[in-house]
Amino acid sequence: MKSFYKSVWFQRAVLILAPVMAICLTMFVGRYSISVAEVLQTIFHHGSSGDASREVNTVLWQLRLPRAVAGAFVGAALAVSGAAFQGVFRNPLVNSGILGVSNGAGFGAALAIVYFGGGYYSYGFAFAFGILAVTLSYFSGRVYGSTPTVTLILGGVVVSSFFAALTSVLKYIADPYTQLPAITFWFMGSLASINYNHFIAFVPMAIGITLLYLSRWKINVLSMGEKEALALGVDTRLYKLLIIGGATLATAAGVCISGVIGWIGLVIPHIGRMIVGNDNTKLIPVSMSLGACFLVLMDMLSRIISSSEIPIGILTSLVGTPFFVYLLKKTKGGGWR
Amino acid sequence: MNEFLRLRNLSFSYPGKEVLKNISLTLDTGEILCLMGPNGCGKTTLIDNIMAIHRPQAGGILLAERPVGEYKRHMLARQIAFVPQIHDITFPYTVKEIVMMGRTAYTGFFGEPAAEDEEICMEALRKVGVERYADKPYSQLSGGEVKMVLLARALGQRAPLIIMDEPTAHLDFKNELIFLQTLVELCRKEDIAILMVTHAPSHAFYFESKGIRIKAAMMHDGVITAYGTPSDVVTEENIAQVYGVKARIEVTADDEGREIKSVILFETL
Repeated sequence: MKSFYKSVWFQRAVLILAPVMAICLTMFVGRYSISVAEVLQTIFHHGSSGDASREVNTVLWQLRLPRAVAGAFVGAALAVSGAAFQGVFRNPLVNSGILGVSNGAGFGAALAIVYFGGGYYSYGFAFAFGILAVTLSYFSGRVYGSTPTVTLILGGVVVSSFFAALTSVLKYIADPYTQLPAITFWFMGSLASINYNHFIAFVPMAIGITLLYLSRWKINVLSMGEKEALALGVDTRLYKLLIIGGATLATAAGVCISGVIGWIGLVIPHIGRMIVGNDNTKLIPVSMSLGACFLVLMDMLSRIISSSEIPIGILTSLVGTPFFVYLLKKTKGGGWR
Repeated sequence: MNEFLRLRNLSFSYPGKEVLKNISLTLDTGEILCLMGPNGCGKTTLIDNIMAIHRPQAGGILLAERPVGEYKRHMLARQIAFVPQIHDITFPYTVKEIVMMGRTAYTGFFGEPAAEDEEICMEALRKVGVERYADKPYSQLSGGEVKMVLLARALGQRAPLIIMDEPTAHLDFKNELIFLQTLVELCRKEDIAILMVTHAPSHAFYFESKGIRIKAAMMHDGVITAYGTPSDVVTEENIAQVYGVKARIEVTADDEGREIKSVILFETL
């Protein structure tokens, strides 16, 4: 029996099924109470039911399901990008926003809110400025035709604060009764307004996540440092570009539909490290699965805790931090010195 | 004439600064080349040129009769493995995971090492005598053991040439000796060439006393000033000239009567 639990196929099945089950769970939970029987009825007789269940139908298929699926994608994207960045930058303290993607996207969203009335403009602007910020970081971190880790992180920090300052300018001139709250809430993150139109963002997220998944062994090698990675046979420039590109696509697309959700891109990879170790061939898929489950469940909590939704970015830290400290104590950190 | 590694009149400059001047060296499999010289004389730059991290402005580096610049990165890694001087431990990988990274050159573009690579890695760990740590985080090993793990990674890479940048720096003298003994064993059993940058002149004498095919090269300001057997290269005159240190070479015999030379340093000149 033990060998069955340790077999690769069982582990893969768990990693894939866990987020699916979390999504299913959220279908049953919410302020609009729907009984288990009603949910099952709606699933099996989708569309053919009478007036009474029309409302149920809408809640399940138009509200809860798209939200949960988007939560799974965004959670996976943020967690896996964080894990990849930690490896490539050889720094366990960096997160998915280290190259400025969050602050860049935030500025894009704020710009759209102030000058274009928000709406769908804010998604496009957020995505575009997220990518622009990382591109700027990458090129400001380039010296002598290569991109050393330290200058790249420095570039990211500088570009991040540049966009944060630009966002402050927009906040300063924004209408304090309508636009300013919109910007503030955007930076707290929320999945409340997700509908099927947002699923277009899954395309760049899926591309980015796939790139990171495929490059997972090379992330191990890159974490040995530039010179050793070259000597081990890795074209460091090409793979760094692929991995940074993948993480940026995934994060920018995630952030543009959910707003800034902190914590996941830093801590979920560490929870993964405590569970399966540091080998990225295991850590990358585990981070994806954990990030997806975590965000889906947190989003569910944010819906039910109070009648007005708690922004999810707040909840991830509030709930995640004690959980993380518990794991840290239990696993003794897992080999850190 | 068919040496595995041949450097011919190699010159290299950083922008505005000439670092390597007209360097010619050869190294064959089954042979060790000890490269010596004061800090900043260009040893590491020379290594970086051989590993195609830098491109020389003049001269050539032939590896198995082909210029190193023509190799793809992963093909070059199948010919040259590298043991670094300083290895920063960022993530507590297990020893086996570290050694598996030596197999990267044999994986596909998006691939990862397979089951048979694990066999090769365990064999490499056995050769350097640290296989008992295979599943331990390498962050919990001593400095000497980490060096052995990095040597095992280089062996697992199955490259005919292993380049080592001051591999015994920061090791106590027993661990240093364990490392040197392991190299002697490897040289006798495996068909590999070793290029070793070292600050200890006694290393060359140690290999010489063990009957290994050994060459030494003394480097000063980007120029090879002496090149040949350790006895010809590590002399009182050369140490005075290159390092600016007054020294004496003494000859002692070990218990089996084999002569071994050592360097005694007196004072800076």
